[in-house]
Amino acid sequence: MAIDLNEYNSNLKPTWCPGCGNFLIHMSLKKALSELDITPSQTYIAFDIGCNGNGADKINTYAFKGLHGRAIPLAAGLHLANRKFTVIADLGDGACFHEGLDHLIHAIRSNYDITILIHNNQNFALTTGQATLTTDEEKPMYGLPDSKPERTLEPSEIILSPNPSFYARGYSGDMQQLTELIKAGIQNKGCSVIEIMQLCPTYNEECTPQWFMQRIHKVEDSANTLEEARKIGTITNENINTGIIYRNTELETYYELQENRKDSQSELVDEVNQYDIQKLFDQFK
Amino acid sequence: MNMPTNRYCIKLGGESGQGINTLGILLSKAIKSLGYDIFSYREYPSLIKGGVASYQIDFSNKYISSSSQNCNILTILDPEAVHEYLHSLNPNGILLYDDSKVEFSPEEQGWITQNQIHVIYLDSEKIAVEAGGSSIMANIVMTSFLWKLLGFNPNDLANIVKEIFASKGEEIINKNILCLNAGYNTSEFKEEYTQRTYIPNLPSEKKDRKILTGNDAIALGAISAGVRAYYGYPMTPATSIFKYLGNTYKETGILIKQAESEITAVQMAMGSMAMGTRALTATSGGGFDLMQETISCAGITETPLVIVLAQRIGAGTGVPTWTGSSDIHTAVKSGHGEFPKAVLCVSDIQSGYILIQQAFNIAETYQIPVIVLTEKQIAESIFTVETLPRALQIQRGTYNGENRYEITNTGISPRWIPSFDKKPYLNNSDEHNQASQSTENMDEIREMSDKRMQKQSTLLNNLPEPVLYGNPQAQTVLVGCGSTKNPILDAISEGMNIAYLHYEYLFPTRTQTLLNLVSSGKRIILVENNQTGELGKILTEASGYQFKEKILKYNGKPLFLEDILNIQI
Repeated sequence: MAIDLNEYNSNLKPTWCPGCGNFLIHMSLKKALSELDITPSQTYIAFDIGCNGNGADKINTYAFKGLHGRAIPLAAGLHLANRKFTVIADLGDGACFHEGLDHLIHAIRSNYDITILIHNNQNFALTTGQATLTTDEEKPMYGLPDSKPERTLEPSEIILSPNPSFYARGYSGDMQQLTELIKAGIQNKGCSVIEIMQLCPTYNEECTPQWFMQRIHKVEDSANTLEEARKIGTITNENINTGIIYRNTELETYYELQENRKDSQSELVDEVNQYDIQKLFDQFK
Repeated sequence: MNMPTNRYCIKLGGESGQGINTLGILLSKAIKSLGYDIFSYREYPSLIKGGVASYQIDFSNKYISSSSQNCNILTILDPEAVHEYLHSLNPNGILLYDDSKVEFSPEEQGWITQNQIHVIYLDSEKIAVEAGGSSIMANIVMTSFLWKLLGFNPNDLANIVKEIFASKGEEIINKNILCLNAGYNTSEFKEEYTQRTYIPNLPSEKKDRKILTGNDAIALGAISAGVRAYYGYPMTPATSIFKYLGNTYKETGILIKQAESEITAVQMAMGSMAMGTRALTATSGGGFDLMQETISCAGITETPLVIVLAQRIGAGTGVPTWTGSSDIHTAVKSGHGEFPKAVLCVSDIQSGYILIQQAFNIAETYQIPVIVLTEKQIAESIFTVETLPRALQIQRGTYNGENRYEITNTGISPRWIPSFDKKPYLNNSDEHNQASQSTENMDEIREMSDKRMQKQSTLLNNLPEPVLYGNPQAQTVLVGCGSTKNPILDAISEGMNIAYLHYEYLFPTRTQTLLNLVSSGKRIILVENNQTGELGKILTEASGYQFKEKILKYNGKPLFLEDILNIQI
């Protein structure tokens, strides 16, 4: 029933480091689309800049590789113009929590019906290993031989505070679970945020597959309250929970709250016509 | 000093937030309803309450589109404003004020005497209260007294008062009318006052005309052009485009989004354009700076993008509510790297309405970012128009193909609206080959750069030469763009023997007409509302011609009609 995965492949080979989490994240995304019967021509992916963004020409869907930090507002603009497309924003922890943090907060608060995939490899990898807010506080990084002076921040705190419609955490080493999470995120009506713990053997070599295996626990049931979600979502030295952490199915999407658009049967892309402005002009006195 | 003869000018001055704008619109509508052409402009500080503000109305029996430097009647509603605006009166002008606390300095007293200013104090609050109105209706008393100074019929003013206050209920309207009549009929009025004024004769034909701002025209043009989404972030003087599109969104169905930043607004606009609808964003200089990385991104990805840049004066925060055209160079040079773009320059209602439509046609046909420049003096000023020009045909330039960035003679590659039954493609801000695969191959880098830049040559060939207004035989030719056109055309209308070369399509830049004028030995004067002659720099770069004479004004005020009339020719 599912679409042939080759349909989603371009003729280019990936350029990531051996063992990079991006291989399986990329494959999970393709599998999720395939299993949901969403064709390459029904998909539009906004890629950010970073190692993840180097996958932009390795996947055969409509895509836009834009600017660093801006994948989310780009995806929002794509989505609002034609809601029939499955729109995905694909970005790293540097783009999401540094350059474009405002966009994440406002996209969740606006509740656009898009899916945001955050590749959290705990550093800026494409620029050869600078610290992000998820980097371990003790770890020496590029230009910071004595580690970063700023505190580490918990992504789940940032994502949960604006009360998201959907928040899940996956792991690049568990393709089966990640595929299911991406599917659930795409199917969720509203802004779906999927944080993906990503292996980075080059710049985050301490966090090996074994390191993750010792810490990852799958949660079966998502939390019903934000308070509960914070407990499940918090990462400790011993524990990283994966799975759907929180859902809020009560929230209306941004488009549904547009008084002038909510009952419209057509999409903005279908409406580019010459409009007679005579009536509006006549209202001027 | 050359004084304008075809027009009459009144100015209201008061405290900001005191209702000056409402009175100004009331008077604009009332004077327009008599059959005059009006041009109204506001000066106000960047704060909500306090400080002084003014509203100036020029009116004529011919089309006018500029402000006079000086007024014939100054009506003052706040003592501070007297000192601010007194010197903007013409000799023999009338100063009307309503606050007994006003004290003139010896210097002011001397100036008043020397210029034979007729000073009238009217206790408007007392008149309003005695007529049964509230003290705030003193403003209506002042307005109707002014109306009598102008020699107009009170019924014409009453009609507009009823229209403007229609939503306030019958009691408020009736009280305002009582105050209006009391102000008009007060015994304080002396016949000698009217003899001091020269009012242009009414036009013989009374046409149904409308008043609207430059930003209204841009918004109407955008609606006409099929814009279906507006993404904005508030910044004066661009914000009123957002206001108009928001207030009409039920009729138009346009999606309106107030974004969290200008970066978001322009990214959303680019995303919606990439998906295949038409989306607009508008901002001023600071917001435009934030949008520049996205302009560059639209350039290399060949994504259509249209941005309105409504200019105000100054770097940094500058002087937020004052006018100028100091962002021309920023617009033309915007974005890092090298890529084609277009810059169009609005000057009035007609050009605002048409150029925004043209901007979308160019952006989509050539797959480039297009910047539409306007200025506070156009954006927020009120013009009189009878009709709008015929709307342009929508041109989208889409066609199917194999490769998104195929190399063609025109430089224009296939672009198709994303659709479930069409081949998907990548818009790639990495340098890329024809198939949109990222590349670091030196031949591919050069070929794709050449392909993109070819579009600028193709566009330039299809753009019109600048328009030459006025007397083509005149020895003096002024050169400008944007609002500069308006006082110059009004000066020509006053009989000034000059020609004026006007740039509407600013970039890429056509230079043949300019070079012909230069080689025919004309005296060329660059006129701009900025410090360094930004249009001049662009023209010099394109033509090699160095401007020898420049008139540059950069004090926050627009180029007034007198600024042009006083040019020695």
